[in-house]
Amino acid sequence: MDYAFDFYSVLSNTDVLIDGLLVTLELTVAANVVGLVLGFGVALLTTSSIFPVRVLSMLFVEFFRCTPAIVQIIWFFYCVPILFDVYIDSITMGIVALGLNLTAFNAEAYRASIQSVAREQMDASVALGFGPVQRTLYIILPNALRLSLPVLVTNGIGTFQQSALVALVAVQDLMYAGKSLATQTYRPIETFTAVALIYFVISFVVAQCVEFAARRYEPTSR
Amino acid sequence: MTFDFAIVLRFKEALLLGLWTTLQLTVICVVLGSLLGFLVGMARSANSPFVRVPARAYVEVFRGTPVIVQLFWFFFCLPLVIGTEIPNIVAGIIALTLYMGAITSETFRASLKSISREQYDACTALGLPHATQVVHVVLPQALLRAAPTLLSNCVSLFKESALLSAVGMADLMFIGQNISNNTARPVEVLTVVALIYFAIAFPLTRVVTRFESRVLAKLSA
Repeated sequence: MDYAFDFYSVLSNTDVLIDGLLVTLELTVAANVVGLVLGFGVALLTTSSIFPVRVLSMLFVEFFRCTPAIVQIIWFFYCVPILFDVYIDSITMGIVALGLNLTAFNAEAYRASIQSVAREQMDASVALGFGPVQRTLYIILPNALRLSLPVLVTNGIGTFQQSALVALVAVQDLMYAGKSLATQTYRPIETFTAVALIYFVISFVVAQCVEFAARRYEPTSR
Repeated sequence: MTFDFAIVLRFKEALLLGLWTTLQLTVICVVLGSLLGFLVGMARSANSPFVRVPARAYVEVFRGTPVIVQLFWFFFCLPLVIGTEIPNIVAGIIALTLYMGAITSETFRASLKSISREQYDACTALGLPHATQVVHVVLPQALLRAAPTLLSNCVSLFKESALLSAVGMADLMFIGQNISNNTARPVEVLTVVALIYFAIAFPLTRVVTRFESRVLAKLSA
């Protein structure tokens, strides 16, 4: 291999990559807020006793879980403006697409944890005279959040990585910045390696923190 | 706004061809990736740090970066690194196989770990040779426990394979996007493409769920 590496092209353009990273982080954080909030709502709907509500919400979850994220993103960017006759700026659209994708995955995580809230807690809340809203907010939500937190954070990191897909519909995130830098400078190895490293470092650090916290707060202590 | 889903039927053959490419690529990468994953899963519990550390680094890098970045890297950088042109399909298969290897190695690692200490002790007490222990005691149980997760890894890979369209491979997504651009009918075409992916992935996830409960029942029996 006689390739002469030249990282100057990357180092002299860090501002471009940082601008891209900021967009990526914006998308990730906003999509996570959407996913954490709506995910809980959808999880409640999938455990509803009303049949059509249950079926529709499950269909929503399964549809987003069983189609490629790239198909969802391209579908949103091309079809939503036609279907609803609206123009939405690309960042918002990216947040909507990534957020709904995350909603479906988080709903599954919440659902599993809602089902594992002990029967006795429900009985106790009835005995204490809690209404359905109070029960949901004070008994189910804290339990579900605590139990599903590791999965929720893993899903959140997943969305951080999936967010790179919006580059394909010309949202100027980190991946997009990397792509254009690679073409402008003719330095794909240096640029894509740097981009991969940025994604890796952030995902890895967050994942390690979560693993550490999960081990520390494991309910069944050894 | 009127929709004409009949337009999609005109491109039935093209879409089927794309689906065929998608399925072929998925199967190749699933087979190669699972083999790699098993080896890496074993390597991660090796005694020597010279085996364990590189295996862990490989898994973390491929799980910690977006698949699309990996694909771009293999398409644009690998030919430069090795100094020769490589066909698109080879670059795509290498990238997805390495990704599959990383995610399945975690599956195998978890299943290998779940085999209790007592079983190894029992093997020693029975005087079983090491090869017998691995092939007849560890492997069957590891495979059985890993099977449901392995299957859902396959579903993930099937979905990730749609990314190959971004580097110009004529899979289902690529053909769908082409048709949608040429006919200016994104709603119909892209919806059908999404439904095709769904129609394949959804039944597989159901199989995973049923399989999982059966495996759990069998293991607890």
